[in-house]
Amino acid sequence: METQRTLEYDAMVVGGGIAGLQAALDLADQDFSVAVIEKDTTIGGKMIRLSKVFPTLDCASCITTPKMAAAAHHEKIAIFTDCDLTSLDRQADGGLAASITRRPRYVDPNKCIGCRQCEYACPVFVPDEEQGGFTLRKAVHIPFSNAIPQIATLDVENCSLCGKCAKVCPTDAIVYDQQAEDFAIVAKTAVVATGFNPTPADQKAAYGQGRLRNVITAMQMERLLAPHGPYMRLIRPSDGKEPESIAYVQCAGSRDQSLGVSYCSRVCCMYAIKQAMLISGALPLADITIYYMDIRAFGKGYEQFFQNAKAMGIEFVKGKIAKISQAADQNLELRYEAQEEDGRLVTREHDLVVLSVGMVPQWNPAGVCHLPTSDDHFIQCSMPQIQPTVTPMDGVFVAGVAAGPKDIVDTIAEAGAAAIEASNYLKRFTGYQAA
Amino acid sequence: MTSEKEKKVKEINGVTVTHTNTFMCSDPGQELIQRDIKSGKINRVVVASCAPSLHEITFRGAIKRARMNPFLYEHANIREQVSWVHHGEKATDKATALVAAAIAKARELEPLEPVRVEAHSHATVIGGGVAGMRAALDLSRRGIRVILVEKTPFLGGRTAQLTTLYPTGASAESVVRTLAEAADKDDRITVLTCTEVAGFEGYVGNFTLTLKVNPAPASADGIAAGTYVPLTGYRAHGALGEQPEITFQSGAVIMATGFRPYAPAHGEYGFAQHPEVMTLPEFLKETASTPSKGKALTVMGRMIRRMAFIHCVGSRQIPGIHESKADGSLNEYCSRTCCSAVLRTALEIRQRYPQTHVLDYYRDIRTYGRGQEVYYEKASENNVLFFRFEPDDPPVISSNAGGPHPLRIRVNDTLTFGEALSADVDLVVLAVGMEAQPIPSLVEIMKLPTGMDRFLQEVHPKLRPVEVANNGILLAGTCQAPMDIGEACTAAQASAAKAAALLGKGFVELDPYVAGVDPDRCSGQGRCKAVCPVEGAVKITDKGARINPALCTGCGICVSECPEEAIAIKGWTLKQYEKMVDAIVAA
Repeated sequence: METQRTLEYDAMVVGGGIAGLQAALDLADQDFSVAVIEKDTTIGGKMIRLSKVFPTLDCASCITTPKMAAAAHHEKIAIFTDCDLTSLDRQADGGLAASITRRPRYVDPNKCIGCRQCEYACPVFVPDEEQGGFTLRKAVHIPFSNAIPQIATLDVENCSLCGKCAKVCPTDAIVYDQQAEDFAIVAKTAVVATGFNPTPADQKAAYGQGRLRNVITAMQMERLLAPHGPYMRLIRPSDGKEPESIAYVQCAGSRDQSLGVSYCSRVCCMYAIKQAMLISGALPLADITIYYMDIRAFGKGYEQFFQNAKAMGIEFVKGKIAKISQAADQNLELRYEAQEEDGRLVTREHDLVVLSVGMVPQWNPAGVCHLPTSDDHFIQCSMPQIQPTVTPMDGVFVAGVAAGPKDIVDTIAEAGAAAIEASNYLKRFTGYQAA
Repeated sequence: MTSEKEKKVKEINGVTVTHTNTFMCSDPGQELIQRDIKSGKINRVVVASCAPSLHEITFRGAIKRARMNPFLYEHANIREQVSWVHHGEKATDKATALVAAAIAKARELEPLEPVRVEAHSHATVIGGGVAGMRAALDLSRRGIRVILVEKTPFLGGRTAQLTTLYPTGASAESVVRTLAEAADKDDRITVLTCTEVAGFEGYVGNFTLTLKVNPAPASADGIAAGTYVPLTGYRAHGALGEQPEITFQSGAVIMATGFRPYAPAHGEYGFAQHPEVMTLPEFLKETASTPSKGKALTVMGRMIRRMAFIHCVGSRQIPGIHESKADGSLNEYCSRTCCSAVLRTALEIRQRYPQTHVLDYYRDIRTYGRGQEVYYEKASENNVLFFRFEPDDPPVISSNAGGPHPLRIRVNDTLTFGEALSADVDLVVLAVGMEAQPIPSLVEIMKLPTGMDRFLQEVHPKLRPVEVANNGILLAGTCQAPMDIGEACTAAQASAAKAAALLGKGFVELDPYVAGVDPDRCSGQGRCKAVCPVEGAVKITDKGARINPALCTGCGICVSECPEEAIAIKGWTLKQYEKMVDAIVAA
């Protein structure tokens, strides 16, 4: 019987998004060895998929790629993509043991040189989830141009096994019968940075449950606005028309008991304002309306950002959208109570509607480890005021949205906090030296 | 690069390889450069992209990993200096000229080594509130010795002036005590109260601070060390005795100087005109010792049957609507904490004193944080009545002399379609925002950068969120921006992580762009020393001028003054400038 591989590090970080990468860098810069366990095919998390980020309007790639590269090249950091954490337990010596399953990529990572010959040869087209589903990708492909690692992955669900990729690969890197690999990582401490998913847009009947073609999510709009987006310009999906009137529906999946998400997702007001500003730049003649309950621009420079958006002519309408329905010309009709006028129920037509979806946790620790979650399903913090990243599980810390919705600025600060907690925890092991 | 530009650049003498890439800073982009270095095709690198401030370090790292000296690289900024400000053909021309200049300079570059200076494993934390204490404790846990400087006789800062805290419902005392007792008994932390920073010089790893110890004020008389005084703070054990002044060396400084509550102007919402108008901190102080249950709340001996909270007092101020202070400043930012603080207080009042009715006047309710939205929901369930106003049409407070309630509050409520509503109340509480605690002398002696909002300014909110431009000085808590207690502790821990990484190696590496002297040319006249703005950076010996590279800022004033052209800034020599100018003129 083959013995399972066991790798040893000072610390492990679960999740390779911006929170996990920052925590890993802050630990590695203190000379601790770190394993980053990422379930996706690339590190970078949600941030690398964004267009620009508020309130500085820096391009997201410009801020994320250097952190990705810094982590990937740090001699104290090892990155494991395509990996699922199947268990995380405390060991007799006080350390932590993680069981990991690495899903097959059907590509030998040591041989693949990222030349994309396989991708060019592949005849199977699949909607590209990295571009909001707006364009197509191949069954074998490199996830996106600044993914790390830059190696191909074969989507076995859609592959026709035609063999073309294997034939053109100059390094014989395609492995059709690659198996999942189980291995173990042991470390003294862990930082959980498992992030979020957008609240599902197909659950709210009043907003069309995903069936209205010109109702898109804000994550899809991020792709439409990205410099390397699906169309390289801003058009609506149903007919390629340049939208003249765009509506943002705030709290579409936050502060909404009917979806079981009663909390505020913290970022939606600001990203909607940011997107509205970017749209104003791309389509100067378009009317943009943001329908909101409360504008929550609370971070440093955020209120000023909001006031600038108002001054730019972006319209803010206080009102919760009750219903979105199909109108003529593939347009959409929004129904709401005109609070700022006389309280009538009014309808207004728009070409394109963006749902400002909120955040739900990406990962549920149940069945994997004894990390409790709170009523909001995010990981519980034992001392939210004086040591915000400490969890009830000794030696396991939490950073970023895994501990509740937050923006990138707050996430990065929290990652630093988790790193100092983890490095201080490492000190507990008597005579322990950095590995 | 446009193909046209790429063609032009390729024609420049010495250019062997060009690449065009949307994300040169990404891993695949960096690998292109590394491959060319390793294959021996190139011995200089020029990157034309965004500002070097964003990614110079990224590219240096990539070059270093390919085993080439990272300073054999020059950066042309064709984003801020070209594409963001020019259009069309002229933009391409300017970009080409800048790239040509960078190439010309690159040919003259010499390998450089970073300046390595020793770093004291010691940090100074300025400010003894929760952020300062949190940072001190985390640094100490990493084995770094800390001096915690607090101006007042008490630890606990603004938190100690509160009673019950959102979102946990914990007492301010328990939070302050936990941190203060731990800091007080920590052997590696020296807590100095009634102490101020009087002198500051040096550089990262080697700062020299002078502290001045003031006599304890009468408010601290008779309070034993280890005592927590409600609404005031924790009295720490003094460590200096009678010494009035100390000077010591420290590797890093963490700023935790905190905030002060906004002081409403005379007459703002009736403040200082009516005794029944007070700020939220004043209200908390006034009611701290009232019985925790009863039919109605009593304030200043009077029963409160109806009271009002007004949000955004001294926050979210808008030019042209709100009046600026005498110094022209306006608080345009949101203070982040007031909505939850008000709603927690309002809910507590409704739950404890059923006959006290609460009215809430707001612009937007910003209960954004974990466990905060529930205060809003529960306040509504407990019949707190909400009114929403526009910034240019705020509630108006007037006297209601002779009536059953002393004040009348009128508003055009946008929740009921602008209806003019008035209510008679016994008390008005103003949710005042946060302002940066003024620290003019520290800003001056430490040369700290501040923003338009008068808070201390970080380098970049995402790339370097707790660092200021001055190497070795870090930010913790509300000296940077409004934050709640959990957020301030998070920021403090993030700054501790940075300080630990900075001081952990025992040395710090600085950019090599400092003055260097050619001993053969230097005649030792000392004109460089006379013009140098940094004390101690130049020394004149019998062998000529000597530079302290750790102190030299590379400003170049000495270069222009030297009669022998014996002094040059490494990486920015006169010859390199000449070549750049030639290239621009020729382009």
